[in-house]
Amino acid sequence: MPKHLVRLLILVAVLAVAAIAAKKFFTDKSYYMYGNYRGNSVAEIASDVPRFRGNEYCKSCHTKQYAEWSSSPHNSPGTGKHVKCEVCHGPVGQHPSTLPAPLNFDERLALKEGITNYQAFMPNGKLPVPKEECVQCHEAMPGRPLVQRQVMIAAHAGTEKCIACHNPHSPKINFAAVLQPPRGDASAGKAVAAACGACHGAAGVSVNPAWPNLAGQHAGYLTNSLEAFKSGTRTNAMMSGMAAGLSDTDMQNVAAYFSQAACKTSGGDKAKVDLGKIKAASCALCHGAFGISGNPVWPNLAGQNADYLSSTLKSFQNGSRKHPVMTSVAKTLSAGDVANLAAYYASVNCK
Amino acid sequence: MSNQDTKVGKEASDLPRRNFLRILGIGAACTGAMVSAGSLIAKEQVNESATAPPPPKIPNYDWNKHKWAFGIDATRCIGCLRCVEACKAENGVAQDAHHFRTWVERYVYLEGEDKPRIDSQSDPQNIAASGSEKEFRFDNRYKDAKVEKAFFVPKLCNHCTHPACVQVCPTGATYKTKDGVVLIDHSYCIGCEYCVQACPYGAREFNHVLGVTDKCTWCYHRITKGLLPACVEVCPVEARIFGDRNDPQSPISLFIRNNRVAVLKPETGNAPNVYYVGIDKDVS
Repeated sequence: MPKHLVRLLILVAVLAVAAIAAKKFFTDKSYYMYGNYRGNSVAEIASDVPRFRGNEYCKSCHTKQYAEWSSSPHNSPGTGKHVKCEVCHGPVGQHPSTLPAPLNFDERLALKEGITNYQAFMPNGKLPVPKEECVQCHEAMPGRPLVQRQVMIAAHAGTEKCIACHNPHSPKINFAAVLQPPRGDASAGKAVAAACGACHGAAGVSVNPAWPNLAGQHAGYLTNSLEAFKSGTRTNAMMSGMAAGLSDTDMQNVAAYFSQAACKTSGGDKAKVDLGKIKAASCALCHGAFGISGNPVWPNLAGQNADYLSSTLKSFQNGSRKHPVMTSVAKTLSAGDVANLAAYYASVNCK
Repeated sequence: MSNQDTKVGKEASDLPRRNFLRILGIGAACTGAMVSAGSLIAKEQVNESATAPPPPKIPNYDWNKHKWAFGIDATRCIGCLRCVEACKAENGVAQDAHHFRTWVERYVYLEGEDKPRIDSQSDPQNIAASGSEKEFRFDNRYKDAKVEKAFFVPKLCNHCTHPACVQVCPTGATYKTKDGVVLIDHSYCIGCEYCVQACPYGAREFNHVLGVTDKCTWCYHRITKGLLPACVEVCPVEARIFGDRNDPQSPISLFIRNNRVAVLKPETGNAPNVYYVGIDKDVS
């Protein structure tokens, strides 16, 4: 065989051996273990540290919040409603052993509010939930299934934050248990009520349609109103002076007296009533479908004087009376809406 | 001239050519013998390793005992996008509007229109509504429109039984595990993005920081520790279902058994393992 061919064959053989050796050397030992991939990479990928740790981890310290949440509608596993801690608060990560705590929820919130030390932002241990977190699930939107609780934000809350009324841990408002005001003594209240009778009527039915009927109104609302007049958060030339002289017990007693008095439906302009009835749908959530509120601290509207109702709405519109929800709701109403709503509620049977 | 040339050429090369052909024949025979012997040895090795491959060293976990699968109940999804944000936080996905391992699509059929209007959380209008590329929300653009039908569809890697992405990978960087998850070995990925092209579901994203391809792992680091994938963990309406097909009472087994489930693009032959309920003809 010619020499140059032998040399060529030797060269080819040497290269082949070198290539095989190089492949042996450079290929990871675990490469063909399970298939054409590096077997060790499976365990490597599995060794990552989880950032979401689950409810039980949160529960180990935040027992009070956990208890609130665990009995609420937000904890209904198996029914398509299971809002765990980290859904709103973000991944817990290594909190609290590493600082700053990697609760991106708080970081985000703090960033929005321009606060760098968000622990100072929660002085009483309460974690504020910005409105965006609630509306992310509860804003009415085409595409969301009907079983999902949804609200039209402008009509439901205006510019008010959700937490003004709702505790996100237990969002369903249990009016009877949470907000029931102390009960007054109606018979003791009768004596106090003598001073009110000149304007609001001895039996709570006002002599002037510009002044509200008190008969049959929620005691809680009446007490809160008197307290507001006394403290100055609500002002009225007459009422501020009248309330100033009342003790807390007096207020509860007189509220109890009027709440138990028989109410009277004042009636309204028939033409406006029908228009008002349509518009009243947006009031019904708080004040009830027929003007009887489900919450003892929100007023009944059924049978109330139309003049008083419309002047109240106007006072919310012009800012002379303030309320977290009503101020923004009233601003969505036209002058015609106000008159129609007042006529409608005045005509609804208060019993 | 030409006659002489031919004659000289014939005389000079006749013998060496015969020799050369003979050597070539012997060489070919030897190579053939070596290759066949080699392949026999290789086969023996494969047989040996097939009898006793110890499962990957994951504490308290044996991948031979699990067969993971994923379910999506689109009739429950509210489009809150907690899953998308959770996935990014859990897996360190780039915090922008272009990289996602899981995402949510919104299908809206307006009255009088045949085709749905489709958008996802990375739509510019939705990014404008969230005010940031790190947070996601759907804007309420159809609030006042006449909507005939609308729904949300979460999507993610289908972890196919016959994954096209694994088929095309030139380096063995992506593979299918015994327990049914398609993973990527970042140290072997060369960033050629063949797999990104091959995936019929657009489930793969490119990690521009590391120069490698990334994708949903069904949170392999969580499920091997007995946890749920992050997106399933945070879904507030239980629209995402995950579990072990080997356990007949697992959530996913019940989901598949109790519902008429569908998969996306079955015609591609990839045999996906993400099962859908409540999707429409235009979802693919």
